This record gives sequence, C-alpha cells and structure tokens, in this order.
Amino acid sequence: MGIIDWLRVNWPHIAVPALVFLGVFFVSLWLRRITYNALERWVKERMSEVGKIILSVTRGPFLHWLLILGAYIALRVSILDPQSRSLGAKVLASIFIAYLGWILIRLSRDFVHHYLDKARLPQRAVTLTTNIIQVAVIIIGILILLELWGGPMTPILIAAIAVIVIAILAPRDVFPSLVSGLQLTQQKQIKTGDSIRLESGEEGRVEEITWRNTQIKTLDGSMIIIPNTKLVQTTVTNYGKQLKVAKEPFQFSTRLHLKELTGLNARNLSQLVSRLNEVSDSVVYYHTHSFVEEYQFLTPEPTNDFALWVQDALGYDILAERLASIDTFEFPTIGALRQMIVGTIQDFLAQTSNEREAPPGNEFHFIKSISVVLPTPYVAHNLREFVGILTRVSIGSLYFHIFEARLRLQRSTNDFSLWLDDWLSEEELAEQITQLDPYNYTMENLREIIVKLCEKRL
Amino acid sequence: MNPKTTVKDYESIVGKSYIEELRMLASRLSGKTILNINSTFVGGGVAEILSRLVPLLNQLGVDVRWQVIPGDARFFKVTKKFHNALHGKHDAVSDEDFSLFLETTKQDLDQIDLSGDILFIHDPQPVALITKRSDIGKQWVWRCHIDISQPDSRVWEFLRQFVVNYDAGVFSSPNFAQELPIRQFFAPPSIDPLSDKNRELPPQAVETVLGKYGLNPDKPLILQVSRFDRLKDPLGVIEAFELVRRNFACQLVLAGGTASDDPESEEVLKEVREQAGSNPDIHILDIPPGSDIDINALQSAASVIMQKSLREGFALTITEALWKAKPVVASAVGGIPLQVKNKLTGLLCHSIEGAAYALRQILANPEYGHWLGRNGKEHVRQHFLITREMRDYMLIFLTLARKEDIIYL
Repeated sequence: MGIIDWLRVNWPHIAVPALVFLGVFFVSLWLRRITYNALERWVKERMSEVGKIILSVTRGPFLHWLLILGAYIALRVSILDPQSRSLGAKVLASIFIAYLGWILIRLSRDFVHHYLDKARLPQRAVTLTTNIIQVAVIIIGILILLELWGGPMTPILIAAIAVIVIAILAPRDVFPSLVSGLQLTQQKQIKTGDSIRLESGEEGRVEEITWRNTQIKTLDGSMIIIPNTKLVQTTVTNYGKQLKVAKEPFQFSTRLHLKELTGLNARNLSQLVSRLNEVSDSVVYYHTHSFVEEYQFLTPEPTNDFALWVQDALGYDILAERLASIDTFEFPTIGALRQMIVGTIQDFLAQTSNEREAPPGNEFHFIKSISVVLPTPYVAHNLREFVGILTRVSIGSLYFHIFEARLRLQRSTNDFSLWLDDWLSEEELAEQITQLDPYNYTMENLREIIVKLCEKRL
Repeated sequence: MNPKTTVKDYESIVGKSYIEELRMLASRLSGKTILNINSTFVGGGVAEILSRLVPLLNQLGVDVRWQVIPGDARFFKVTKKFHNALHGKHDAVSDEDFSLFLETTKQDLDQIDLSGDILFIHDPQPVALITKRSDIGKQWVWRCHIDISQPDSRVWEFLRQFVVNYDAGVFSSPNFAQELPIRQFFAPPSIDPLSDKNRELPPQAVETVLGKYGLNPDKPLILQVSRFDRLKDPLGVIEAFELVRRNFACQLVLAGGTASDDPESEEVLKEVREQAGSNPDIHILDIPPGSDIDINALQSAASVIMQKSLREGFALTITEALWKAKPVVASAVGGIPLQVKNKLTGLLCHSIEGAAYALRQILANPEYGHWLGRNGKEHVRQHFLITREMRDYMLIFLTLARKEDIIYL
C-alpha cells in the first residue's frame, strides 16, 4: 500500500492529533496574549523591576513551552503504541526540563545582577552567587532527567549534595550577609542618611550600607560598623532622614570644677559683708550655686550658702529667709547679684544692735569656683542629634551650657537657646527653654524637660 | 585593691559620662609624670587611698608613680608627735625632734629619685623634701590629709616654712585651710565603692557576721564604728541609746579597735564596758584592723548609724554609712556637716539629748530614714567616691600653672 492509500485509511489518526496540537497551540497563544498583556499593565503600574525581568526573559520561551505542551497532548491522543508514546513523552519532558533550567539560569543571573548591584556588592560576590545558583539548577535538572529516564540516582545525588554543601560552606559568612544585606536594602527599612537608634543605645546616622555591614556615624563622631547579620536581628528605631541642618553645629562642652580655698572667713555679719565686697565674682558665684551643684539629686532648694550659714551658725531666721528668697535667675550679672545680697544683709544690720558671732568651727569660709571647660566629642548638626546627645552628656555639660553660660560667661541666655535660635531657626523652642528657671529643677529634671520640648518639636 | 578592678567597673556606679570625662582629663596629662611621695606603702589611710588611686590613674594612661621616704623608728616617732600636735593635742616636741626631722629629710633627699614633672607630697613626713626645689625645679603640691584646723602653733610654724614653697596645697575641708601665700584647693577624701568595706554584700554574708557577734537580726540595730577614743564619745552614745531604749526595742553596737599607739584606748574601752554594764542589748565589739567585711556587714545590717564625735576629721565612717544608704545621726563637728546636711542627708545633733531625739525620729519613721539614706547615698556618689578624688587631682595637675577662674583645656 502506497503512502496515499495509507493516508486515505488513516487520515483521522493523523488529523486528530494535528488538530489537537493546533487547537492547544492557538488556545494557549490566546491565553498567553491575555496573560502577558495583563502582566505588562501590572508591571507598568507598579514599575516593578522584577516583573520586567520575568516578562522579558519568559516571553519568547513561553511560546516554545506551548508548542511542547501541544505536542505532548497530541502525542497522548495519537494511535501510536504505548512504548512510542512513552518515549515521545519522555523526550518532550526532557526538552522542557532542559529549556526550563536554561530559563531559570537566565532569570537567576538577571535577578542576582539586579539586586546585588543595588546593594553595591563586589563583583566577586555577584559572580559567586550566580555560579552557585547555576550549579544548583543544573544539578537539580540532571537529577530530574535521571529520575525520568531511570538512571542511577544515588552517587550523583551524593555528589550533588557535596557540591552544594561545599559551595555554601566555603564562603560561610557570604550567604547570611548577602541575605541580610538584601533584606535591609529591599525592604527599605534602613537607608543611607537615616538617623537610627540601636537596641544597645548607640545612636547615629547611617553612612553606608554594603553587602556585609552597615556603617553608622555615632553622636560622638566615631564610626561603628555592624555586620548586617547582626543588624537585622536587633531592634532598630529609625528616625528617618536628617532634619533641617543647622548653619553651625552645636559643640557640646563639659565643665568640671575645682574648689579653691581663699583662706578668708567670717565670724559675723559685718565680716561677711566686708569680705563679700572684696572677693572675686568666682567666689560669689560659688556660694550662690554650690547648693544646686552639690545636691543635684534633691528636689531643688534654690538657696545660697549665705542664707544657710546665717540660719545655721548665727540663728538669724528672718535674714536667712530674705537671703534665700533672692531669685538668682533674675540677675543678669554676678555683680548685680552680689549687690542684692550685700544690700539685704546691710539692711538687716542697720536694725540690729548686738551682732551674733558664729561658734568656733562654724565660721563662713569663702571658696572660689574654678571652672575647667573641655570640649566633648559630641557635636549636633540637627535637632535629632541634639536630643540624642542631650540624653547622654554629663551633668557637668548641662551645667556649663545652662548655668555658666548665662551668668558667668555673660551670654544673654543659655547656650542651647542661643544655638536653636541663631543657627537652627527654632525661635519658639529656644524661647521655651529660655523661659525655664533652671534653679527650680534638679539637673536631671531639667534635662528631661528640655528633651521633651525638643521631642515635641520633632 | 582587687587587681582585676578596672576603671570601667566604676561606670555602673557613677555613669559612663563621668568615666568619659576622666579619660578626657587623663589624655591631657599624657607625657607628664606625677610622683607621689608619702611615708609608707602599707597601713594608714594615705597608703590605702594611694594603693587604689595609682593603678586606676595608670589604667587611664596617666604616668603616676609612688615612692616612700626611708626613715627609722626615731623619725616616725617625731612625725607621730607632729601629727598629734597638728591635731591640737599637746605632745611635747623638742628642738632635737625638729633637728632629727631635718636631718632625716636631708638623708632622704640623697636616696630618693625625684624624677617626675609634678611632685605630689602627702602629709607632713616628707614635706621638707621641697628644700630640693631650687636644684630640681618642677611643680610641687602638698596634700594635707589631716585636720590642721587648730594646730599647735610651734609645729605648724615649723612646717609652714616648707609649705609656703609649694605651688599649691590640697586640704580635706575648708576649715583646715590656713593663711598661706600659695593656692589652696579643697578636695575631700573618698571611699572606694568596690572595696571590701563598701561593696554590696549578699544577705547571707551579713547574717553570718551578725551570728558571729551574737546580734539579733530582727531587732533594730544602732551602730557606731570608731576607735575607742574619748573624742568619739562612746559613753555619750550609750547614754543616748538608753534614752531611746525606753520607748523602742533596739540594740546598740559599738564596733571599733584599740590603737597600739594610743594607750588611752584600752582605758576608754574599759570605761565603755563598765557603762554598758550587763545590758544585753549593748554590744561592745573590739574588732581588729582589716576586718573590712565584718564592718561592712554591721553597717549593712544597721537601722541607724551614729557618729557622735566631740571632735572629728572628715569621718570616712560616715561616708561609708551614707554609701550604704543608711540614715545617719552625727555631731555637727569637723567634716561631718560636709557630708550630712541636716534633715536632707541625715540628722545632725549637738548633745546627747539631741542624738536621742534624732534616733527616735528615725526609728519611729523608717520611711523617713530610708529617704535620708537614699539622699545620703546620692550625695556620696557625687562627691565622696574615689572617682571624684581622681578627677580633682587630675584637674589640679592640669591647672597648676593657670591663674584664670575659667580655664579652657
């Protein structure tokens, strides 16, 4: 029988699979068009880089997969004997697996470049990651093909596992770092320039995020480098991008003090007045501020040493009350404060006939305050950094910028208000701090109040 | 000092910023050598504080060294006389004593290597080393640890001729300052919060010590720690206790020692025992020197700690009590008012009746006692810990040559 006779007899056996093949192909083609058009719209709306990669890599191969699918279904409905059909199915499946593997490799290569380039990974890491994925895909593909064709699995499986384990273990810290780095950059939880606070209390600005670590410039100017693997495991408070930057940064200083004994003392009010008129401003400053400094932990009792001595050693309760009620905050200069104290004692003396003497050992000893001022490593460039530093500087630093700046260094107000007003244009906040009477708070309370005022502004 | 103690260990006590400031000061002393000179490496308060200060300052990077002057028994007998005379006790000091002092100093000068940029001389024993100043120059600071508020004038005038040649003097209390042509700084003494005497003890250790001395852990305990010396008024303490005991169930512990160089102490101890009689609530404990854990445990167990002295130097026993957050009843003498601000960090008294009244106030109002104790502890934290003494000394070394009142470093 010739070919034509054979076709005449068997045409349905050929035509059916051919029609099925064409039918599946055209239906699939139509489905592909709808699906890909929808996907393209979605990608365009979301501006998804990942979507773009998937579409560009799979668009062509998808058509080939449809052809393979059509051929497979046509084979299933053909009248070929079971062995031939099984062989054909295996061949088609093998082509599909190899093709899919190749596409996966292309996809993984593009993904790796896309993500790791963003994380500024070195070329070595990009190549290494690409190679590892390719090896894994090839091994998995071979294993599937072996399974399909009934080949010996065990030795190859062992070899494959060994290769994967070596590939992972060799650069042991690379993978966790890679994953952590990706997590940080992709989830955009932390970005370069953000102000962050770590669980450990360290605070600073993110200077750089690399594939292995994150560099943070802390408030004292030092740089800390945290492995990404650790950073993703710790609690991080992200304050976000830098705020308004001051025209000039605020350099925190601290003030330590020495007490210099003048060798001068007084036994009665006349001597007290006489000495008060001759001692330096630093002596008057010491005796009007020592209580604030000495008893920082107590609910403040804004008094001065003169009032305490007049009461304890001389027993003049009324004069002690008058001296204690002198509001140091009202006086712009130590000279004016001294005048007020001397005047108050002189007024009292004018009405007193018999002066009392302090018992031996209870004389008033005049002490001079020597301030030693040192710059600290803490520098604030914006309000967030200012608050962060304020919470950690020493009491001596607070004391210097609040008390000494105003009365001893003759600045119009405290240093904080001056900076906030002049260099950060935070006039309202500056005024709020200026209005605080520091003599009515403990140093820690004062710190807390100023921090709260700033945080409210933030 | 525990050799493992580091400056960082103090961060949890005084704060990180405080230690940061110490490091800032230390860095500015880089390149300078400070030589401490006193009379002994062991025994006595000066040796104790130097044995802690020197290693801690070294850890901060400051080149601090320590030497002692050689001297025989005769020399130290004379300096003991000086010590008593400066304290106001009239101990006959002869011209031969002065000669011996000068002669020994001359010999010391030949033997001691006075290398260093700043010479930090402690107490009267090595004070005359300054006679070498014209040859070697350098900066000299005299640290006076003792109470010289009412010194024997003859001894003081003798020592004064040396003191006036120093660049500065450092005194433990404003009333110890003298009329001198040199700068005088006020730097009170300090305690080490990590020492055996001051570190926090586990409750079992306290119970063990109470058991050892037969004390009732359930009865409020009033404690005075001091040598058996009349100036500490132990008999007055017993009287005050007897007044309080009428209304409050409590026990009294007088813990101290007898000094071998003070023959009077045995006599005082005998008088105290007689006064206590057979009262089972009065415990007289003759505790040997160095029993730091025992003293710590007694202070930790006390409900109130007393220091009813008639005359007092600085009274570090008060500092120790305040550091343990204990309410304190103390006489307003010597350096005590520097530590105890009446009704804020403790209660001051001027008489036996006053002491009894203060004790009753605290025993009847334990919360008030706790409040005073807490304030006292904070006061010590800020002013009377070893970290503050380190800071003061470094500030003095750094500013010796500066005359301004506000110094920028």
